[in-house]
Amino acid sequence: MRLGVPIFLGYMPVGMAFGIIAVSIGFGVWQSVTCSATALAGAGQFIALAVMKTGEGLGAVLAATTVVNLRYVLFGATLSPYLRGMPLSRQAALAFTLTDETFAVNIADRREGRSTGWSMAGVGAIAWLGWVTGTLVGAVATGLIGDPSQWGVDFAMPAMFTALLIALAEDRRHIVVGLFAGALVVALPLTARIGIPIPASWHVLLASGVAATTATVVWRDE
Amino acid sequence: MSDAFIWSVVIGMGLANFAVRFAPIAVVSRMRIPRPFMRWLSFIPVAVMGSLVAGQVLLVEGDLVAPWSNPYALAAVPTALIYHKTRSFLGSVVAGMVIFIALRTVM
Repeated sequence: MRLGVPIFLGYMPVGMAFGIIAVSIGFGVWQSVTCSATALAGAGQFIALAVMKTGEGLGAVLAATTVVNLRYVLFGATLSPYLRGMPLSRQAALAFTLTDETFAVNIADRREGRSTGWSMAGVGAIAWLGWVTGTLVGAVATGLIGDPSQWGVDFAMPAMFTALLIALAEDRRHIVVGLFAGALVVALPLTARIGIPIPASWHVLLASGVAATTATVVWRDE
Repeated sequence: MSDAFIWSVVIGMGLANFAVRFAPIAVVSRMRIPRPFMRWLSFIPVAVMGSLVAGQVLLVEGDLVAPWSNPYALAAVPTALIYHKTRSFLGSVVAGMVIFIALRTVM
């Protein structure tokens, strides 16, 4: 609860934003809610809406959401040492509720030696509820509340990520890696100017991979 | 947009997003992991967050804009400090949103 409630409240406004945008491009209320309930993909869901809006087909939509969420491969691999010996069904349940926030919260908690399988399940369940409830409220309320951005909803996701970044930057090396990855993301759009454009959806993945690999190679001691 | 197309996207998204999360957990937790790989993994979370935050607060539609004229970047600084002091995700997000609205109003 201690860890899950902030995620619930962080997800509500972002889920609402998804519900509002989904309905505005033609989703029904139940379609938006089902999408949030089964995909639970945050940025992956927003990118899907953006691609659908441009009139692309199913393949392009699924490719976009998968690429944006490829970072979950890294998250899953990071968590996996803690999930050894857990039955496949429990692992599947945790995998289903794995998001940026639940991942960061669970990893931070684990490093303080507190996280357990149950606390991870609780965090996941509460996060799911916040995301789905937010989507429902957003989808139903479209047209009732006016422009959602006047409530600062645009900054809800960045604010959550910023707090998570501070939570994870636990020593000097982590701070350096975080700054390096951030600098790479800012620099990557420049690749288009020198004639080798890299699709924006790859930037986060590429920057994180390069930063973490560099750190592993440079700091060999330990 | 047809109803059937939207439903097929909804179902496809559910499957694609589950697969990308579950596969690494199911496979990697059943293998022995070499130490350098573990060290690499320990840097992944902070690297991902660093790049997500930088992309969201420093870039606008993919272009770098001057941080001092960008309410996202300006609001991120107090949000980070508030989290550092209070260790409260909720408090930081709410305070960050309020600061963001205030900055956007005056800018």
